[in-house]
Amino acid sequence: MSAATETAFGAALRDPGRGAPAHLAPSSGRRPERRFSVYRNNVAVSLMGALATRFPAARRIVGEAFFDELARAYVAQHPPRSPLMMMYGDDFPEFVAQAPGLDEVSYLADITRLEAARTRAYHAADADPLPASAFAALDGALDEVRLALHPSVEVVRSGHPLVTIWAMNSGEAELGPIADWSPQDALVCRPELDVFVRRLPDGGAAFLVALAGGATLADAAGRAAQEARSFDLTENLIGLIGGGLVVAIRPSQQGDAP
Amino acid sequence: MPARTVNAALAGSLLAALSIVSASAAEDKMAGKEKCYGVAMKGQNDCAAGPGTTCAGTSKVDYQGNAWKAVAKGTCTTMKTPKGMGSLEPIKM
Repeated sequence: MSAATETAFGAALRDPGRGAPAHLAPSSGRRPERRFSVYRNNVAVSLMGALATRFPAARRIVGEAFFDELARAYVAQHPPRSPLMMMYGDDFPEFVAQAPGLDEVSYLADITRLEAARTRAYHAADADPLPASAFAALDGALDEVRLALHPSVEVVRSGHPLVTIWAMNSGEAELGPIADWSPQDALVCRPELDVFVRRLPDGGAAFLVALAGGATLADAAGRAAQEARSFDLTENLIGLIGGGLVVAIRPSQQGDAP
Repeated sequence: MPARTVNAALAGSLLAALSIVSASAAEDKMAGKEKCYGVAMKGQNDCAAGPGTTCAGTSKVDYQGNAWKAVAKGTCTTMKTPKGMGSLEPIKM
């Protein structure tokens, strides 16, 4: 197909108002318009299905009918850029964040960010977490140490009780009114086989983001303490090491190399 | 803080953390396990076949415009939020 034909075909695929693309030749006597609309419908329904599969908690929160309308609007504007359907909807959270009329469920965009991160974590590269013994062997200039985090690690920050809402809508916790509407940051990771979602302690998000950005342990702890006065380094190291989030230690000599 | 103080603080925290982590002895969890399609996170188990293989769309014409007719009837009405009960009104896009 020429580029122009492809563009016309793609446009007709997304917009029912356009009818079938020109020069569509039927292989049998049937009307191509009708058969094309079946194909168009299948494309839309399957992409909506891909979103429903990837964002089950968001779907549960607003209900199937509402979610499907949201998905339909997204699908019409965002054709897939890859045949890998598990990654379809990577920018669905941005779409949800800008969608009108969601004021009462303003946390919905963050839920979709968390769910998108879970899928990415699930398909992220495998890596062996460092055992605690690797840290016990560390001595000397601890403050200059840099850490390589597991490829699956993502931090999702939120101004809402994100982890509680997600847990209630993914079968991890019982559904009910949320008395404490304080912000929660989430950690998503898959150190081994299972994807975990954890609520980060105060300053934990800043700590992890700094470490992931290549900051030294001391700098990362400093930035976390600056953001949250209650930042507890021991608690965060327990999460970091016990949670299997570190895959390599870069000592000061190597870490300072460009 | 001077570098030596930072280092000492880090070393103290690390020691405390390690004593707790190794007490939980989380290390050989993976012994005898392999990654396979049988082991997956909740809600991802059906991804091997992949969404998009369905033919459900052939039975009805689903793709119609952008009018949002739906009202949210999900769990948002159960979780009380500072902004209300999440009983969304129909909206248009």
